[in-house]
Amino acid sequence: MKAIGATMVASSFSCSEKSNDIPASIVGASVAIGHKLRFDKIPEPTLIEEIDTIIVGGGVAGLSAARYLHKKGNHHFKVLELENSAGGNSAYGSNNISAYPWGAHYLPIPNPENSEDLFDFLKEANIVTSFNSKGLPVYNDYYLCFDPEERLFINGYWQDGIIPNFGLSEKERKEIKDFMLLMEDFRRRKGMDGKYAFTIPVDFSSQDSEFTALDKISMAEYLKQKGFTSSHLYWYADYCCRDDYGTNVNNTSAWAGIHYFAARKGEAANASQGTVLTWPEGNGFLVKKLSEKLKDKVISNQLVYSVKIENGKVLVDYLDSQTHKTHRYIGSNCIMATPQFIANRLLDRSHETISQSTFSYAPWMVANITIKEFKDRKGAPLSWDNVFYDSKSLGYVNANHQNENTFHDKRVITYYLPLTDGDPVAERKKLYDTDALYWRNHIINDLSQIHPEIAKSIENIDIWRWGHGMVRPIPGFIWSDERKNARQSIEEKIFFAHSDLSGISIFEEAFYQGTRAAKELLNKS
Amino acid sequence: MQFFLLLSVFVVATCGLIYELIAGTLASYLLGDSVTQFSTIIGVYLFSMGIGSFFSKYFKKNLLAWFIQLEIMVGLIGGTSSTILFLLFEEVESFRFLLYMLVSLTGILVGLEIPLLMRILKNKLEFEDLVSKIFTYDYIGALLASLIFPLVLVPYMGLIKTSFFFGILNVVVATVLCIKFEKEVKWASVLKTQSIAVIILLLAGFVYSEKIMAFTESLSYPDKVIYAKSSPYQRIVLTKNSKELRLFLNGNLQFSSFDEYRYHEALVHPGMQGLQEHNDVLVLGGGDGLAVRELLKYNTIKTITLVDLDGAITSLFKNNHMLLDLNKGSLLDKKVKVINADAFKWLKENSPRQFDFIIIDFPDPSNYSIGKLYTDTFYRLIYRALKENGAAVIQSTSPFVAPLSYWCIDTTIQSVGFKTLPYHAFVPSFGDWGYILAVKGTQYSIPDNFISNLRFLNHETFQQMLIFPKDMEKKKTEINKLNNQAIVHYFEKEWSEYLH
Repeated sequence: MKAIGATMVASSFSCSEKSNDIPASIVGASVAIGHKLRFDKIPEPTLIEEIDTIIVGGGVAGLSAARYLHKKGNHHFKVLELENSAGGNSAYGSNNISAYPWGAHYLPIPNPENSEDLFDFLKEANIVTSFNSKGLPVYNDYYLCFDPEERLFINGYWQDGIIPNFGLSEKERKEIKDFMLLMEDFRRRKGMDGKYAFTIPVDFSSQDSEFTALDKISMAEYLKQKGFTSSHLYWYADYCCRDDYGTNVNNTSAWAGIHYFAARKGEAANASQGTVLTWPEGNGFLVKKLSEKLKDKVISNQLVYSVKIENGKVLVDYLDSQTHKTHRYIGSNCIMATPQFIANRLLDRSHETISQSTFSYAPWMVANITIKEFKDRKGAPLSWDNVFYDSKSLGYVNANHQNENTFHDKRVITYYLPLTDGDPVAERKKLYDTDALYWRNHIINDLSQIHPEIAKSIENIDIWRWGHGMVRPIPGFIWSDERKNARQSIEEKIFFAHSDLSGISIFEEAFYQGTRAAKELLNKS
Repeated sequence: MQFFLLLSVFVVATCGLIYELIAGTLASYLLGDSVTQFSTIIGVYLFSMGIGSFFSKYFKKNLLAWFIQLEIMVGLIGGTSSTILFLLFEEVESFRFLLYMLVSLTGILVGLEIPLLMRILKNKLEFEDLVSKIFTYDYIGALLASLIFPLVLVPYMGLIKTSFFFGILNVVVATVLCIKFEKEVKWASVLKTQSIAVIILLLAGFVYSEKIMAFTESLSYPDKVIYAKSSPYQRIVLTKNSKELRLFLNGNLQFSSFDEYRYHEALVHPGMQGLQEHNDVLVLGGGDGLAVRELLKYNTIKTITLVDLDGAITSLFKNNHMLLDLNKGSLLDKKVKVINADAFKWLKENSPRQFDFIIIDFPDPSNYSIGKLYTDTFYRLIYRALKENGAAVIQSTSPFVAPLSYWCIDTTIQSVGFKTLPYHAFVPSFGDWGYILAVKGTQYSIPDNFISNLRFLNHETFQQMLIFPKDMEKKKTEINKLNNQAIVHYFEKEWSEYLH
């Protein structure tokens, strides 16, 4: 018996040691290079080249602008990307188990109105395969999220779907139902101007003050005003705000909060409303499709450090972070497909009177975890999106979910944590001050709440720190003049394209802003 | 001294016969044909005892120490034999060799025991007395063993525990002798250490065997588990009783040798007999080779491709002789190509190859992973993999127990452009079981005649199989898609209601 006792002690030791053995590392976003913009003096450029158009930034907005220019026969342009591959917050990675997302990871089936360009793209990418006799899009079956889509761990059980239900009182269930009905009503409402109260792109939403007034208060205040008290409803609203905006329910404008529920009106021949399109690499798939024809146009590892107009030409100075040489493009036009805090720095207009303080960005930590088969609690089986009620994280997404294989002995799960506790500046500093081990322990502790022995199954954790993950639709921002004015071109030579100009960071908005900027550029000439 | 030595004769005799019975029983469980197995095991065992007796003359000194040493060895080998045989059964090729080697080894060691004992006791007893006492205890031991083995041990302890138990008994005798005659035994301390180590090992085996075999497996199956293995994909268990062999995957019955011919004839022949051409046939799932066995009744078939996920299954059905008897060695036929791959992925990536007939024999859609194999997306791949006038047949769960699930498969198959012919057959092990024939093109006609070497199907039977009584009538259902997995929801609901 002694021998058995000793073995048991030894195995419990090895268990906790096991989690210390799990390799964890930080990958991704070139923070150090990016920060050169703030601190370093960079030498004058030595190599000079002329070109029609320079696109600064290879995220979804920049690539969408590039796609549109290319489609319209304008081939004399380059996209300068800071990172070693394009994609912005739709970045993706892969290992021998699966491809996986580093950020945005799905696209809800788009709204029929104001989305002609988007549908063109979806057809090019074979995401929409045809239209049925009623004109409804038929989506590629492999890209519609497979069932089971979502589950929530609540009160010790995995329930189907993420709207809290299991173990709730009748009163709370009714409140949640009432709230959903209210949102459903908003989904159909139109303003005095005949436009939908909430739609995508945000630009096409009604400007009726009945609705835009909601931008002045927070989502939490809105719930309170409506007399809701259910803590589970607040949790759900908070979850949705953090999920789409990286901002909690107290700091998200009610207009944006309602937009999450009410803006989507997409229909399909072969899917129900609210269905999402997704891929193992998340929106990295869309990035690949956007840049399919742009292979020699996108130049990565390029740090643009100055954009200015001289003698009617746009001068774009950039540093090749591999060769450490500086270059200059002299172009007729430039599209700034960067967030506004970068654009301002590059254009050196921080001194200007236009206040841009309303643009703020949410820090995120995203981890991709390679994992063997692990024990699961009772209830709904492993789904695409797996959320747990008692966690600051958004749970995890199963990257292998869209794989047609019936069997997986290993998978990659993507764990999302928006840092919403404090002021984003402080949270961002905290994010950069912490290392891989800190986050590894955080993730394991958090996941252990629902999967107690998960440490034994984890093989590797990769961590990506997004300092400025997405624009925050704080109260007052979406319908502010600052947001509206930020897209004004400079002398019809420098155009602006980024999802932050929409106030919410989703694929459709980035695609729209990029395409819009490309159209403005083409229209002037 | 006399008493202890005679007592040990009794124990040794009991243990010896028990090992022999265990080997015989295991061999008939695992290899079938109990008459042959028992005769050959007993023969080999007795012959080995003879070899042991012959060699006993070469032991000149320290007889008591040698006797104790033998006891420890017999205990170790006999005690672990059934576990070793169970665990190594999957190494099928060398299994018989291993079995007879263990039996011989035990036989030789047991054969050494009695002659040595007689020589140890020869100066203490008259010769007449010696022979009479030793053989009396020996035969009483044998009687006891042969009675308690079938009546008590097998039913209450199971084979693995029994063998550990008697192994321990054997070694305990050695230990007692060792302690009792410490002064007369050379290397007493070495032997004591050995015997304690072996007792600990066997005790551990005794405790864990209970846990692993008896509780998790045997108790959950009505019959004896004769094979159990976890492949990377599933738990494979074979059970056997006097008249049937059954295969379970993850606890779900796949077939019983008693009536599987009904299931497989109904699966294969209605499609085969109604098609104009059947040169190239694809089987998805069906790694047991039983559908292939039916296919091989047609000499006109040129190629059969079988795609099954689990290499452990196809290899088991290529090697185990009981299973080879059942599938007639179908997977070894030169027309047959076995591929271990995920059917969905394989079909998606092997687009240029087309087949006349595709047999789809997957497990029931009881979870989301398997549910994918019943989706319109999957059936589109099937459509693409069929020649212009080809057909596919799909095993489709029970239309009686799970009518929504069954008709959901029908609706889904039709939604991708197939015409369907639903039919069902009574398979006692499963119940009223459903199939759907998916027809591409116009050349298929409902067969009037069936080949003669079938046990179940003929013209009249098939006519009946096409009739769906009122309680199994076609129901309106959703189309099963990757993004709704409607069938998994139907299936869960219908089968859980039926089983509770």
